[in-house]
Amino acid sequence: MRVLGFNKLRYTAALLFFAGLLAYGASGGNDEDHGQRGSSAHAAHAHAAEAHAAHAHAEDSQDAQDIHGKTTVTISRDHILEFGLKVATAGHGRIATEVVLPGEVVPNADRVAHLVPRYAGIVKEVRSRIGDTVAAGDVLAIIESSESLSSYGLSTLTNGTVIDKHITRGEAVTRQTQAFVIADLGNVWIELSVYQRDLASVKVGQSVLVSLGHDQADTRGTISYVSPVVDEETRTARARVVLDNSTGKWRPGMFVTGRVDIASVEVAVAVPNTAFQTVDEHSVVFVQRNGAFEPRQLELGRRSTTHAEVLSGISSGETYVASGGFILKAELGRSELDQGHGH
Amino acid sequence: MDTLVRFGLGNRLLVLALGLLVGFAGYRAYRELPVDAFPDVSPKLVQVFTETEGLAPGDVEKYVTHPIEASMNGLPKVTRLRSVSNFGLSVVNIYFEDGTDIYFARQVVGERLQEARELIPEGFGEPQLGPISTGMGLVLFYYLEDATGNYSLEELRGIQDWLVKFHLQTVPGVTEILGIGGYEKQFQVNVHPEHLLGYGVTIADVIERIRENNLNVGAQFIEKNDEEYIVRSVGLASGVDDLENIVVKSKDGTPVFLSDLADIEIGGAVRRGVQTRNGAEEVVSAMVVKLFGSNSSTVIGQVEDKMEEINGILPEGISLVPYYEQKTLVEACVATVTSALVQGVLLVALVLMAFMGGLRASFVVALAIPFSFLFATLGMGYFGISANLMSLGGLAIAIGMMVDGTIVIVENVDRALAEADPDESRAAVICRACLEVARPIVFAISIIVIVFLPLFTLQGVEGKTFRPLAYTVALAMLGSLIFAVALAPTLSDLLMRRQKTNGARGAVLRRLTAYYEPAVSFFVERRGYAIALAVGLLLVGAAVFPRLGSEFTPRLQEGTMVLRLTMPPSVSLTKSTELTMIVERRLMKIPEISGVVTRIGRGEIGAHTDPVNSAEMYILLHPRGEWRKASTQPELEEQIRLDLGDIPGVATNFTQPIAMTVDELLEGVRAELAIKLFGDELDELIARGNEIKRVVETVPGAVDVQVDQVAGTPQLVITVNRQAVARYGMNVADVQKTIRAAVGGQVAGQVFEGIRRFDIYVRFAAPYRSTADSIGDILVDGPSGVRVPLSELAHIEEIVGPRQITREDNQRFITIQLNVVGRDIGSFVAEASEELASAVTLPAGYLLTWGGQFRLQQEANQRLAVVVPITLLIVFFLLLLSFGSIANSLLIIANIPLALVGGVVALWATGQNLSVPSSVGFIALFGIALENGMVLVTCFNQLVKDGVPVNEASVRGATQRLRPVLITAATTALGLFPLLFSTGTGSEVQRPLATVVVGGLLTSTMLTLLVIPALYRWFSDSAAPAGHRR
Repeated sequence: MRVLGFNKLRYTAALLFFAGLLAYGASGGNDEDHGQRGSSAHAAHAHAAEAHAAHAHAEDSQDAQDIHGKTTVTISRDHILEFGLKVATAGHGRIATEVVLPGEVVPNADRVAHLVPRYAGIVKEVRSRIGDTVAAGDVLAIIESSESLSSYGLSTLTNGTVIDKHITRGEAVTRQTQAFVIADLGNVWIELSVYQRDLASVKVGQSVLVSLGHDQADTRGTISYVSPVVDEETRTARARVVLDNSTGKWRPGMFVTGRVDIASVEVAVAVPNTAFQTVDEHSVVFVQRNGAFEPRQLELGRRSTTHAEVLSGISSGETYVASGGFILKAELGRSELDQGHGH
Repeated sequence: MDTLVRFGLGNRLLVLALGLLVGFAGYRAYRELPVDAFPDVSPKLVQVFTETEGLAPGDVEKYVTHPIEASMNGLPKVTRLRSVSNFGLSVVNIYFEDGTDIYFARQVVGERLQEARELIPEGFGEPQLGPISTGMGLVLFYYLEDATGNYSLEELRGIQDWLVKFHLQTVPGVTEILGIGGYEKQFQVNVHPEHLLGYGVTIADVIERIRENNLNVGAQFIEKNDEEYIVRSVGLASGVDDLENIVVKSKDGTPVFLSDLADIEIGGAVRRGVQTRNGAEEVVSAMVVKLFGSNSSTVIGQVEDKMEEINGILPEGISLVPYYEQKTLVEACVATVTSALVQGVLLVALVLMAFMGGLRASFVVALAIPFSFLFATLGMGYFGISANLMSLGGLAIAIGMMVDGTIVIVENVDRALAEADPDESRAAVICRACLEVARPIVFAISIIVIVFLPLFTLQGVEGKTFRPLAYTVALAMLGSLIFAVALAPTLSDLLMRRQKTNGARGAVLRRLTAYYEPAVSFFVERRGYAIALAVGLLLVGAAVFPRLGSEFTPRLQEGTMVLRLTMPPSVSLTKSTELTMIVERRLMKIPEISGVVTRIGRGEIGAHTDPVNSAEMYILLHPRGEWRKASTQPELEEQIRLDLGDIPGVATNFTQPIAMTVDELLEGVRAELAIKLFGDELDELIARGNEIKRVVETVPGAVDVQVDQVAGTPQLVITVNRQAVARYGMNVADVQKTIRAAVGGQVAGQVFEGIRRFDIYVRFAAPYRSTADSIGDILVDGPSGVRVPLSELAHIEEIVGPRQITREDNQRFITIQLNVVGRDIGSFVAEASEELASAVTLPAGYLLTWGGQFRLQQEANQRLAVVVPITLLIVFFLLLLSFGSIANSLLIIANIPLALVGGVVALWATGQNLSVPSSVGFIALFGIALENGMVLVTCFNQLVKDGVPVNEASVRGATQRLRPVLITAATTALGLFPLLFSTGTGSEVQRPLATVVVGGLLTSTMLTLLVIPALYRWFSDSAAPAGHRR
């Protein structure tokens, strides 16, 4: 009995020992697991650090170093070529701002004559048709006066082209009838619609590039007039450009686009818009300093569709990335990209 | 039991017929087994994709994702809801319990989707269920090679979409063909806004006019001379000419044609993905998605045949070139295990020949292998387990064990026949011999099956990976049991002869016995040494154990290398294509690489949802023989990493196709520890997330703390000024419609070319919409002909917005991931939670949870901590039942720690880690170790019962049983040898398992033979009476 008791104790101890070993195997083993994983991650870090060190020595290297949260990027000459970075030296430039306005060709209102019969009567003869070119003194139609029953010639006082006619042989005309509209199309008006937002910048004397589109050559003109009132319906003002039309290229009614040069200034430092990258919600330009590129926030002045004036932040003679700076931005943020992908 | 054996011997013909029947059925089942590479570990989930052209992530979440999520709540068997709202795409993953029928899941989701459709505003996309497939469903990727160089990318894409795709989709088992790359053909109407202005037309008029002028209608029929003539009106635009001639407006009889307002051309649709090749060209490509549950190898085979056929009908010079095939992986995996199986069988046969003596006996034993194997395949067929690395691996592991039962029977029969009285009938001798050992065999094999129980409780990926193995081992063992008990006696009767002398069998054995007998006597006499030996070994094990490294599961080498590039989230597709091609060119300079095919972003929706900043490069390699330095895939990866050099702005990492897809579906956090912060406001989440990061970083042990990058995509936000709009008498919608049509573009119907249909896409010509300034210049038409530039009506600004919005269980969340070094995670979590509670105050409605791999591991450990002891208890009771003695049972259980030591030392010596497969090895070891102990103890008891003194019984019994113990141990170990030395695909998962079993067997066998006899005296029930007798 006593032997059995003793045995029992031993059995229990043995059982506990085995159970303990197994439990350790099941749970402790996995604790070990964590440690190992952690340290393997460490190893990876150490490796990365090594790689960095190795690169620092190598010619062909790029490296991002942390300086108080701001970073600079080094990129080798080969990479600049391979990744298509364009580097430029900061210098003066011209900032040309322009406003694009829709418009149309209208006859020069100063050179449009509306011919009306002097006396009411019956039209005996019409000598001109729409499109005919007429010279001052030409008789365009013969009208028999209803009062005197004598015929008289309706003649023009201006040179020009017949652009409209409301007179036919046999027709009775009154003194209100606009028999002919004669316009001198030797020069035409380009009337541009100026929106409220552009009114402040569009002024008389500004140069305008007028284009017809459809691959036709553009013509330069000058704003000669900006209407003092705004149309109530379209809410636009009119800006006028007078263009020579001796070739007959500008036909009234045509639709055109006018690019008004608002300002064109020579500035001390200008950078192309392609140089800007957004880093941490700030617009920056990468400027070279001590062999590395650093993102700089610039104070900007006037801007055009292609360039921006730099007031401060980059000085003349400094080297900056004119285009392709995205790769530098990407390199700055690369450490954040690695997350989420296991090894 | 007895009756079974007697019945078997009595009806030999019947038994043989049944055996053959099982074998035949097993063979049939084997032929029909689906063959896969690995067990599919994808979760049961249904994906809902909604494409919403051009909508920002925040709006996708609001208008699309949330309604879908809301309608999915409360579905049966749903475990989790997770969603990602990306630019233009919403993906909702609905996870179901494991084991849910996929068609049931799709059906319930489909029903609820109806509700969701009603909640999604008109024009915000149509939600669709993802393909009926899993993470392993992407079986083949191909691209279209154009040898002539005459085809444009649009034409090639057209061939893919309208010819190749339709043909491939007819292959049974293919559920989807997803194209990517090139351009989808489109009829682009590029409107010039100044012409709109000139003719007084709006973009809305243009869209309306195109719609109204592109129709076919049917008008029933007329009767003419007793015949019916079907009336149809044909008004479909058939090409650019027809579109150009659409009259948009007519004034005084003068028509304004569409061609007056816009340039109409055939172009490529907006795309979110590109496929490139060798750094030289863009290609058109597609992936074949396999239907859920279909047989990979069959489907792939049929797809290949079909591709062959399609190549025949494709235009001259164009051919389909596969660049990734799962087939290679399947073949490699199957080859690895089959060669292991074959080699195992050969080795086992050799052992049998050496030890059993006599061809006939060996033959009977060897027959156990095919029978057990076929029985297992029959069971696999029944349970729907595919033939793959793990299930076949289980059979490879079991090879050596399959013969154990039969060895014992045959060995006993052999001995009995030799020793028996010549007058006794053969049948009677055999029957007696069988009955002697039948009982312990049944128990021993049952115990082996039972120790595999804990494997069935593994959950998640590990469970899915190792359960097939547990199944096949259990099935094979069951088969071997049936063979041993029912067939072996009959076969012995038929095949074995009475051998008169023992002399012929094994000189090896005799020599071994000569060495063994003094050794065992020594230990039996001096128990102290035996205990010292055992304890010493245990101490060695205890000392080595902490030195073992560990990992969850070794990485399976799929044999296909994928280099994943991650670029900044703001990158444009053009730039990411450019960067990718630079990397491709660099890769092409590496001599081992024969080609690179890269997918950037996503193509047709269904498999990948990657944004354009992510590229996956499939690296095609020259044959292994031509490699310079590397001999394995990881080595080559390292080599490539070195050769590739640094790529500014691009993060690279190597991955593998299946692993990548499965990870994407699991969407689990890869780090050990993850803090998930749930809340509503993204900004708040980011701010608090960073705050949490700062706090957690200060807790000792925290490394690699990272907050999810949820922001980073620039947006051009056009905020409509309500006052301004009101002044012009417009609605906000008028402005927005114009923005959408002018900048984003709008589909205004389709042009049909046969059955091919192509969108008519109306949009402003590029110069009028591609910069913020030009967008500001877009004129918005108001009532009464007012035209106002957009910049007068709205504020346009550039901001950085969310990259994507992830949600889980209906809430937005942000993850803070970290790893813990140098301390246990439990205490770390406790300390960090405390720190967080005092340092970070979360706004109302914000919730913080801890999760990550550690949670899964903890769960698994907790489960095992319960199941393993229970299993041992069951084993203990079985032993008790078998031996009727607590002492005996404990003695046998004592084998387990002795076996563990060997496994641990073997792992350490081969430089492997503790992992799930090695744990599986330990579990298998339990059973085998117990078996040996049982054989010995049974014999001792028998001898004691026959009146032999305990000490003598120990020595004699041990010597007598040396042969079966050594044979079973040797067969088991040698059966595993091929797995130990295999370097084939997938061997890395089997190797730790084999190592543990072989190592454990060494110590366990040695100690069983030396220590157990020594200890028997203390653990023998009959010890006391025996002493008395003396």
